[in-house]
Amino acid sequence: MKKFLLLCLLVLGLGFALFNFKGLANQGEFDSIILDFREDIPTTKISEAIQKIEQKYARQPTLNSVFSVDDNVYVVEGNKKLLKALKRSPLRRKTEYIEPNYIYEHFLVPNDPEYSKQWNFRSINIEQAWDDTKGDGVTVAVIDTGVTQVPDLKLTKFVPGYDFVNDRVDASDDNGHGTHVAGTIAQSTNNGYGVAGIAYEAKIMPLKVLSASGGGTVADIAEAIRFAADNGAGVINMSLGGGGESRLLKEAIDHAYNKGVVIVAAAGNSNQNAAAYPARYPRVISVTATDAAGEKSPYSNYGAGVDIAAPGGSEAGKILQNTIDPSSGQSVFVGFQGTSMASPHVAGVAALIEASGVTEPEEVVKVLKQSVRKVQEDPLNHFGAGHLDAGAAVKLALKGQITFRDFFRWLRDSGYLNPRFWIDGGAVALLPKIVMVIGSYLLAWFLRNYLPFTWSLNSGLILGSSGLFFLQGFYIFDLPQWPFRLMGSSFPELGNVPLGNTALNPIFASILIPFLLIALLAGHKTWKWFAIGSTLGVASCLIVSAAVDPALSVLGMGAIARSFLIVNALLCVGLAYLASKGEKQRV
Amino acid sequence: MSITVTGKIEKKGFGFGTWALVTSEGTTYELKDPPEELRKSLAQVTIEGQIRDDVMTLAMIGPVLEIQSFKILSS
Repeated sequence: MKKFLLLCLLVLGLGFALFNFKGLANQGEFDSIILDFREDIPTTKISEAIQKIEQKYARQPTLNSVFSVDDNVYVVEGNKKLLKALKRSPLRRKTEYIEPNYIYEHFLVPNDPEYSKQWNFRSINIEQAWDDTKGDGVTVAVIDTGVTQVPDLKLTKFVPGYDFVNDRVDASDDNGHGTHVAGTIAQSTNNGYGVAGIAYEAKIMPLKVLSASGGGTVADIAEAIRFAADNGAGVINMSLGGGGESRLLKEAIDHAYNKGVVIVAAAGNSNQNAAAYPARYPRVISVTATDAAGEKSPYSNYGAGVDIAAPGGSEAGKILQNTIDPSSGQSVFVGFQGTSMASPHVAGVAALIEASGVTEPEEVVKVLKQSVRKVQEDPLNHFGAGHLDAGAAVKLALKGQITFRDFFRWLRDSGYLNPRFWIDGGAVALLPKIVMVIGSYLLAWFLRNYLPFTWSLNSGLILGSSGLFFLQGFYIFDLPQWPFRLMGSSFPELGNVPLGNTALNPIFASILIPFLLIALLAGHKTWKWFAIGSTLGVASCLIVSAAVDPALSVLGMGAIARSFLIVNALLCVGLAYLASKGEKQRV
Repeated sequence: MSITVTGKIEKKGFGFGTWALVTSEGTTYELKDPPEELRKSLAQVTIEGQIRDDVMTLAMIGPVLEIQSFKILSS
């Protein structure tokens, strides 16, 4: 049975993988063609063949390199059309094979002409991260001198912000610092112009708290933090610091943290043995600066309160972005240095992590710190956990998608005993239920490109697959037990468990409930994910039931019942796929 | 808290630059909105002013000094 279950999951997995894999042969690019001539024909024949190609197509095939002589590997410039013509020509008989000379590009390299000057992005291994995400769906609040939409921010998405210095909605920049910081986070990238940004599909929320001269009050900064938290920001960057401890600021930070916002701040530029405020607060990720060689930048604070290190540059190599020149208001590409520049690197990567599905601040910090390149000897804590690594962070974040750790924690926390009620531990066979939940997460994982792992999806997955099954064994003395059986039923069990039957009811154990849920909830942006999660959960429950215990009322427990369950399960997976397709936007 | 400090005025290169007073002991004060006369490198200046604990800045180079009065000792 176990083998059958694993086989089902494997087939499903392979099916989805193949379905989604376009194949290198269909997407590879090439501008030349490989001709591998047979080794058993004389060289004169090869020369003849090459001459014919020259005459017919006006192109000169050449040996690929000096090492190609023995194997007769020639390369000729050409496209798909020539490839097809060559494959059909008599040449075919003289060669072992004719194939495209694919150009291998391991990672996405943006076409921004000044990208080659952004040593800092290679230092954080950004290209590997871009293979998986560019931060789509996440909003990063830039609490700074404001942000002006300079030419290389034209394609970057913005959400409304606020100018707390002048008390107005327009939060454009009159200093040049905030625009530079926003550029590091989400400069328009792959636009053939200027430089790149880290999470360039994320949205920027400009919040101006620092005046043209570069200073601002704690009161304005605290208000900006609250504004960001209350208006949908997932990440806050504060490339600012100084002053003393402030309760107002601390409360604002706690408010944002409790609303699930990741808060990043610069450690400060006074080369002191402690991070400045607000980076010093425990719920703020404090970032020190490194130079192009990965050493501590001369100005960077270090020591107490430091969480992580990122490129901030030095006199020898600065951080290049597009910003405004405050004296003229014109767009300029300029290199800045400072922990101000290091902080947005971490904020950008935090946005990539959030876009990968890990959104709780505590978890994001864990991912950031666990994915660093560690510094072996760091006695003065120049680097905190280590050097920021965007590629490793995104990989780690994606790996963390199938977690039922929280589910088990929740089960444990809920499973205590008390004189007023009683739990029948044997009411439900635990193993199949756990397999159902795992199965539903596996199904969701196969569809992960389309799904946001929100509470609504998670609750759908659980209620659809296993339900709160431990409630089925829950009794309060002297009270009827059926409400617990009802609450403890997964959707396919609703037709039998509340009534005390063990055989599933085919009306409930089918695609019917998922179909109704999706039909009713498809239009709602949050509950839709609950419906999709439920559908995947039901699919998992039906597959596991078919494998372990295919008892259905009316249909019996033989091949008919098993087929019924499997067909409905597959229909559910198809339904969830269709309902979630094209919904890449994170909710 | 009003203080009097003496040192040189220099521009620190964070963002487009910030004016600071550096004492002979090496303490750096960030000057808050300095007047035109102090927006240049100066050898010795005495400034009387107030440390603004409620102000944060992009330069983050040290305590923020709001200038109440100043005297240029040598340029």
